[in-house]
Amino acid sequence: MKIHVMTESTMPSQSEQQNSPAESRHENLSALIDGELSDGMARIAITQLGHSPGDLARLGEYLAIGDAMRGLNTRHDGFSARVMAELENEPVVLAPVQKKRESRPTLWLAAATAAAITWVVWQSNPRDDLAVPLASVQQTAPQFDEASPYLAAHQDFAQAVISTQEMRFTKASLEIRP
Amino acid sequence: MSDRDLDLQLVERVRQGDQRAFGILVEKYQRKLMRLLSRMVRDQHEVEDIAQEAFIKAYRALPQFRGDAAFYTWLYRIAVNTAKNYLSSRNRSMPTVSDQAMNDEDEPDERLVAQDIATPETELLSKQVAIAVNQAVDALPEELRQAITLREIEGMSYEEIAETMACPIGTVRSRIFRAREAIATKLRPILGTADDKRW
Repeated sequence: MKIHVMTESTMPSQSEQQNSPAESRHENLSALIDGELSDGMARIAITQLGHSPGDLARLGEYLAIGDAMRGLNTRHDGFSARVMAELENEPVVLAPVQKKRESRPTLWLAAATAAAITWVVWQSNPRDDLAVPLASVQQTAPQFDEASPYLAAHQDFAQAVISTQEMRFTKASLEIRP
Repeated sequence: MSDRDLDLQLVERVRQGDQRAFGILVEKYQRKLMRLLSRMVRDQHEVEDIAQEAFIKAYRALPQFRGDAAFYTWLYRIAVNTAKNYLSSRNRSMPTVSDQAMNDEDEPDERLVAQDIATPETELLSKQVAIAVNQAVDALPEELRQAITLREIEGMSYEEIAETMACPIGTVRSRIFRAREAIATKLRPILGTADDKRW
């Protein structure tokens, strides 16, 4: 039998026990402006705000209350609305999201594999090194020919499999520089 | 999520095309910004015009915002430059303004901008709101009043308030929310944020 012990931190708040969905959403807004929501919950709350002008106005009220309590002038009727109306004439800001550069392990793996095969072939035929390698590779991997179109289409997932056509594909890919 | 993290997330959303997220930033910082600008420009209408221009400039410049500084610090610099240009274009200089307060590269020292230059009109309106807020706060049950005061005036985190009030954090969160709701209900007619006026 499991016994669930509720600690202070896991205990639901008074309102969580009885809030309606709307009230829960508004309570989240209240916690959001205090910086007391987790990242995930904050993302959800902000997303919901985008779909609910009423909630956005409520958020403004909460902020105005805090400012009023700190003695800031809260009478700027319609200021937000004027700014937002002005922004409607502005092009939407679309800045590229900075992503970490994705590494291409498949390319490196294919390049390393090709280099290794070339080296092995060259080692086994040191006197015919200039003429033989590619022909040798083609002859050692005929069993993959049937699967080549599939592998070419799914090259990112066919990491260690080398076929003649894939070799050609890999060569083309290697020319793309990051 | 800290206050600064929240701003960064809002900025990121704007940069992905969500204009509403910028609306939250406007809502959040408009009063603070206008209080700053009222140190440079006396006329309240001019203050609002400059603040609006500063927000628009900030919106346009968001792709260049790197997050090295806090969003408000960045916005503050834009607003100060906008005000300086505005005054310069009218051959006016900054009145009664502490150069130290206005020229700092970082966020202004709140103590230096603490004294509002209020016109009779704005002073009256501010007093009206302040009185309503005070009355609403006074009318709150003790535990709600204490929670909202510790948060808004003392700037305590929920954890600190929970320790002070010897109650769970969830209860603090709930009390602050209920306090805000109670005050907002009384303020809506004055703030002009009745349902038909919401944006």
